[in-house]
Amino acid sequence: MDMITDDLKTPFSQLLLSIADDKLIQGHRASDWTGVAPILEEDIAFSAIAQEEIAHAAELYRLVADLTGGNADALAFGRAAEEYRCASIVELVDEFDWATAIARHFFCDHLDGLRFGRLANSCFTPVAGLAARIQAEESVHIEHVDTWVQHLGHGGDDARGRMQQALDALAPHASMMFEATQGGELVESAGLFPKADADMFDQWLTGLKKITGQAGLTLNVTRPAPDAVGGRRGQRSGDFAELLDEMSEVYRQEPEAAW
Amino acid sequence: MGLSKIRQIEAHDDSELSFPPEGDAKPYEVFIQLNRGQPHVHSGTVDAVDGKMALSYAKKHFGRDQECVHMWVVPREAMISTNYDGEIIWPLTDQGYRLVRGYAIDVRRKWERFRDQEELDRYQDDDIKEMF
Amino acid sequence: MSAGVTTAVELKMDWEIQEDPQRTADFQARIDAKGLIEVDDWMPHNYRVGMLRMCEHHANSEIVGALPEGEWITRAPSLLRKLALIAKVQDEVGHGQMLYHVCQDLGKPRDQMLRDLCTGKTKYHNVFNYPAPTWADVAMIQWLVDGAAILNQKSLAEGSYGPYVRTMKRINMEEAFHFKSGEDMVLTLMSGTPRQKKMAQEAFDRWWAPCLMFFGPPDSDSTKTGPFMTWRIKTKTNDTLRQTYVDRFAPAAKALGLIIHVAHKDKDGMVAIKPDGNPDMVVDEQIQFDEESGHWGFTQPDWDEFFRVIKGNGPCNKQRVALRRFSHEQGHWVRQAVMGSAGLPPSAN
Repeated sequence: MDMITDDLKTPFSQLLLSIADDKLIQGHRASDWTGVAPILEEDIAFSAIAQEEIAHAAELYRLVADLTGGNADALAFGRAAEEYRCASIVELVDEFDWATAIARHFFCDHLDGLRFGRLANSCFTPVAGLAARIQAEESVHIEHVDTWVQHLGHGGDDARGRMQQALDALAPHASMMFEATQGGELVESAGLFPKADADMFDQWLTGLKKITGQAGLTLNVTRPAPDAVGGRRGQRSGDFAELLDEMSEVYRQEPEAAW
Repeated sequence: MGLSKIRQIEAHDDSELSFPPEGDAKPYEVFIQLNRGQPHVHSGTVDAVDGKMALSYAKKHFGRDQECVHMWVVPREAMISTNYDGEIIWPLTDQGYRLVRGYAIDVRRKWERFRDQEELDRYQDDDIKEMF
Repeated sequence: MSAGVTTAVELKMDWEIQEDPQRTADFQARIDAKGLIEVDDWMPHNYRVGMLRMCEHHANSEIVGALPEGEWITRAPSLLRKLALIAKVQDEVGHGQMLYHVCQDLGKPRDQMLRDLCTGKTKYHNVFNYPAPTWADVAMIQWLVDGAAILNQKSLAEGSYGPYVRTMKRINMEEAFHFKSGEDMVLTLMSGTPRQKKMAQEAFDRWWAPCLMFFGPPDSDSTKTGPFMTWRIKTKTNDTLRQTYVDRFAPAAKALGLIIHVAHKDKDGMVAIKPDGNPDMVVDEQIQFDEESGHWGFTQPDWDEFFRVIKGNGPCNKQRVALRRFSHEQGHWVRQAVMGSAGLPPSAN
């Protein structure tokens, strides 16, 4: 179907926003490495991934705008901090530490692979088609980040230590990506975001642990408490205010103008 | 100014770096195929520590400016090349006997005994269109 | 395909060197016949060094050139501009990668080139020592600086060194996108609000003179006839390129409503402010089309400033090198790890 009932529009757009905001902010953080990454070839590759994340976000914003009004740029740049729905893991500054950047992508890209797999089976056809395409690109991101986790895990004590530290530091934030969005159960049962056979958190963790196991790293991530409140409900981490100021610095000078 | 945090570097010094030269990774030559049925052509070189990394970098670097359906990466050390200086690839002896140009003029002259000028021109156009 | 140069090359010019006369003559004959030189060919020592130096300088410029605009990636005002700017800066890094490879094959490891760049031993293009304080500077860089780069690189693509020529052609294809996107941004600003137009004019005032300087100092007799011209490492003189540039951009700027000023800059690269609070600049009255010569006139930029900036005393020299150095230092452990993890265990692949 290509129409959804009014009562589902808000919960579904909350879900789509949570994913789009994750992608925009992950891509925004990643794009800041363009020109200053550790290896020239990697600079190009990581920048390509940043572009894909932001391009995916743009397409999701357009869908949301179709559902609830507004436009993609206003959604991306013009909301108040508490209106964003991303998880804290994408907001944190990486302090120019490559292990942190890789750990963030490791957690996020694996989840994207799974959630776009589910969206590809959505009963809402505009989302299903887009999700199938995004999922195909995500598999390339996953391959890229997995290779990095392996390289750093096998790259000597110093590198393994840094990678382990980054994984440990981000783990609590990673689990909060699973905080339910408002009306999340409704969109699941309506078939907009259908459940997969296996539980998504379990699948995610199994996928991650396969790689960390091979790389000689450990992973301690637990499912978030059912009543935990975080980014999906608009609670922002400390790094977000500064990020938003920076990201919308020019946009806010004249929000109505074409740039 | 809202400059990104990682770019706010003020300290500057020209002293030697604290670590020794690292050396370069291995060069891999990249060949891309733009469409099925076309040959792979050399597109550039990436430095990487293994083939998997080389292919991943090649895709992002040389596979994004134009549409591209297939790609090879080859470690440069595996490539064996000729030398521009004095190494003969194309024989110096006339090879007209194995080329179209070795026959074209004679054939046309001989046809002239059988066909008039206009017919012959049309035939030659067809020849180019249909046969080559 | 080159097997690469494995012997270490002494990277200094040597004008006392005695080259084999026969080989030198053959080499020059190939160049005079518009032939191309490949990495495996014999070449005079000074040709190799000259080519390597020019290419290394070019590669450095791409890498440092990624920094001023890179500052605006996190602040681009729309999703489209954000994506385009990331892609543009990514292209610069890609160009640097390709150009470094031309140099690597001429005999200098990339690692060494990056070290030399971040310890100030080698230089990059002067134009990147100027600041980009507003979004409109990004537009002007992509329009004016990339426009200058295309003109310059088009002439370099007619040079004699095959690997460099091929790289130039490829780079120019991508620069065309940068230039178009720059034009689009300038046109958008000049069709926008009064504030946007003001922003664009102010950025234009900052970038016009550095772009005139882009092509290097005025020609002397030696640059017109020197070995770089006879070897076709360079194919057009600085003044020729500069005039072509003005002929193209002065009327375009005029048509857009931009005013070309002769501006006095402060040490930060900003147009200086007079005691009365107004910017220290006047309209460039030389900007006139001359029917007789078929060219546009212009006031020469401040060449003293040019040499001051080249010596390292420009507005942003220190900041650019420092960021490049910081990036190289921060990346050290990562490169070490990757090099050390070559041939991962079978389970990992």
